[in-house]
Amino acid sequence: MSTEVIPVEKPKRNYNVLFGLTLLALLVLLWIILSLATPSFASGNNIANLLRQGSMIAIMAVGQTFVIITGGIDLSVGAVVGFATVIVALLINAGVPIWLAILATLLVGVAIGMFHGFGIVKMGLPPFIITLATLTSLRGIGLLMTNGNSININSDSFTAFSRNSFIGIPNLFWMVILVGIPAYVFLHHSRWGRYLFSVGSNAEASRLSGVNVQRTIYMAYTLSGLCAAFVGVLLAARIGIGNPTQAEGWELQAIASSVIGGTSLFGAVGSVHGPLLGAFILATINNGANLLNVNSFWQRIITGALIIIIVYFDGLRRRGK
Amino acid sequence: MISTAQDLHPAPALEPGRTILELRGLEKRYPGTHALKPVNLAFKSGEIHAIVGENGAGKSTLIKLLTGVMPRTSGEVIWEGQPAALATPHEAMALGINAVHQEVVLCRHLTVAANMFLGEENSRFGILQQRAMVKEAQKIIDDLGFDLPAHVTLGDLTIGQQQLIAAARATVRGTKFLIFDEPTAYLTRKEADQLFTLIRRLKGEGVTIIYISHRMEEVFELADRVSVLRDGTLVGTRNIAETNDAELVKMMINRSIEQVYHKEHFTPGAAIIEARNLSGKGFEDISMTVRAGEIVGLYGLIGAGRSEFVTTLYGRHRKSAGQILWQDKPVQVNSEHDAIKLGMALAPESRRDQGLCLNLPVGLNLNLPIYKRISNNLLISSAQEKTQADRQIADLRIKTPTRGALASSLSGGNQQKIVIGKWLAHGAKLFIFDEPTVGVDVGTKAEIYRLFGALLSKGAGIILISSYLPEVYELADTLHVFRRGRLVASHGFRAASHEDVLTQAIG
Repeated sequence: MSTEVIPVEKPKRNYNVLFGLTLLALLVLLWIILSLATPSFASGNNIANLLRQGSMIAIMAVGQTFVIITGGIDLSVGAVVGFATVIVALLINAGVPIWLAILATLLVGVAIGMFHGFGIVKMGLPPFIITLATLTSLRGIGLLMTNGNSININSDSFTAFSRNSFIGIPNLFWMVILVGIPAYVFLHHSRWGRYLFSVGSNAEASRLSGVNVQRTIYMAYTLSGLCAAFVGVLLAARIGIGNPTQAEGWELQAIASSVIGGTSLFGAVGSVHGPLLGAFILATINNGANLLNVNSFWQRIITGALIIIIVYFDGLRRRGK
Repeated sequence: MISTAQDLHPAPALEPGRTILELRGLEKRYPGTHALKPVNLAFKSGEIHAIVGENGAGKSTLIKLLTGVMPRTSGEVIWEGQPAALATPHEAMALGINAVHQEVVLCRHLTVAANMFLGEENSRFGILQQRAMVKEAQKIIDDLGFDLPAHVTLGDLTIGQQQLIAAARATVRGTKFLIFDEPTAYLTRKEADQLFTLIRRLKGEGVTIIYISHRMEEVFELADRVSVLRDGTLVGTRNIAETNDAELVKMMINRSIEQVYHKEHFTPGAAIIEARNLSGKGFEDISMTVRAGEIVGLYGLIGAGRSEFVTTLYGRHRKSAGQILWQDKPVQVNSEHDAIKLGMALAPESRRDQGLCLNLPVGLNLNLPIYKRISNNLLISSAQEKTQADRQIADLRIKTPTRGALASSLSGGNQQKIVIGKWLAHGAKLFIFDEPTVGVDVGTKAEIYRLFGALLSKGAGIILISSYLPEVYELADTLHVFRRGRLVASHGFRAASHEDVLTQAIG
């Protein structure tokens, strides 16, 4: 062969890292501006509150990202959170040991995720449809189980967890690290992580290469369900009640965090650190808007605009312009 | 506006032989690459001008410049005596320059008629005149001699038929200059003949045809003149009557034709796989054996059941009767996973749809079948991941800046090397290659054939499916001919003539 030069794009080496740093810079910039603009932002109490709120969305966003990388979507996560608060509240009030109540609730999340996998793989339903169906049914089941009432959790040791801190950092934020590190290893350093990407990029090519596509899809939705159930446990501990209507609209926040964090809704592009940063950027905007007395309706509009701007610039960069 | 079959080309036939389009020092640079070095070339009206060259020789760049998809770096394009900017696709189309691409770029979910008039719909008071359009479209199709319905959904047609529709579509827009980019890659012989009839007819009407193909016999069948590109340089232009295969290939690759089909003979060893009276969807009662060190070629027309047969061997589809023996033992192959575990590897027909994860790195694509081996229970060994990928890239001479580049950024030939290369580290015993050289240039073809030899020498067996007769003819130790789902004839290496094999395949 001749030694011709071929027109190949420069590889986007460390693109993920660069994008992550940009998000981090954005987050720090927001924090600096808000610290200067409002006296209360930089207070320990407010920061702790922001971290608590952001943490729960962040954990959901990680699970959501696994699903989106396969080219799917999980609309049910908000409903799973609400449902999980009911389950864990009922179990604890029934006298089940806390560790067992938590474990059982997590298993419920796993079961819901497996059901999504079943619907997609075995029944051939689009992910949007099956998770939309569980979104509405889970809320209904939860309401039936509680007769529409909130359940007050009568265990102080359980509820104390979410309010307490460890070496000055809220326990809820430690949970992000607890989830984030294994999630990072799983996505970027295990073969199952590679399979999530390959299935999202081309399921047929993956199948022909010996990848178990069905199992990969089951895995993604199961992990998403697990993350959501875990957030349900944390939320129940934080507010001290079980209520199936909690976490309304959180699925959209989780998806938004993931997308702001660089996940492509077309699949095969995503990371763990991106959605985490995305979740805290969203939490900061909401928190800052509250402190600045911005009408809460505007917060939603700002979130929408932010999604458009970030995804637009990300698209520009990916196209190499 | 809607045009009828009669006034497809309302302008009087262009005077043949007049220069319609002239390139003066046309040049394209990408950052770091000189994709097209200054080209001077004049195209005459009413000529069929073939352009040949390897992948990456600059053919695609030339098309993109002429159709306004990309701006040129320097040089001039003279259209009918006037300089033309060709800055946008719209401008090119307005002049009468159109292209039919290798991959069909139409809307699969719309009807044939809707596609034919896409962007130029016939409507009255904003309401689409659907029935009228179907009628018009049918008239055009019938007039061209294509036996196809205009009211069906495009996606229900075969790829070949879709390609014919794409060609028909290009002719209804006052086209004076029509570029065909590898139009026959997915066509059956009959469809190709229909296309050639269409092309000759357009030529008769004074339309200039640019015909880009890797298939030499088509170039000699159709073209009046042929230009050869190599490494972005126009090597030369010849009248078709004054040149031959060997000269063109030599101009293209600086290497003689004998070196392309590189056939190594090995003494066949033990049987690797045997099909006994195997039946399934699309094929019936097929028996054959593949032994270590031999290439078994499957020749037939598209739809003859060859792909269905091998995908059933590979566990993609269920067999309905018969037996599969792997190394003389009966086996059940219920999934691709089973097949891969036994030691089979399949490089599928369509690399975009079935072969590659295009928006993922080259390295990941190459390692996909072997991640289990290069990871412990939990983690991937990143050192092994790197060395395995780099070794395949070096061994196969895949032209990529790094293993981290996206598969989509490589040329077709290099993508095909990934599809094949990912199985080499896996160490399979039986390799199934389904149309491995479609849309691949001569140089890459030669490399792929040399790879076959390397696999055979390691004791592997190969099933080679091809619709390109010279390929199976020159490479297969045993050549099986398929016709309508049945195995109708078998030959040894070069044992039957081309004509016999072709006759058996057509029946």
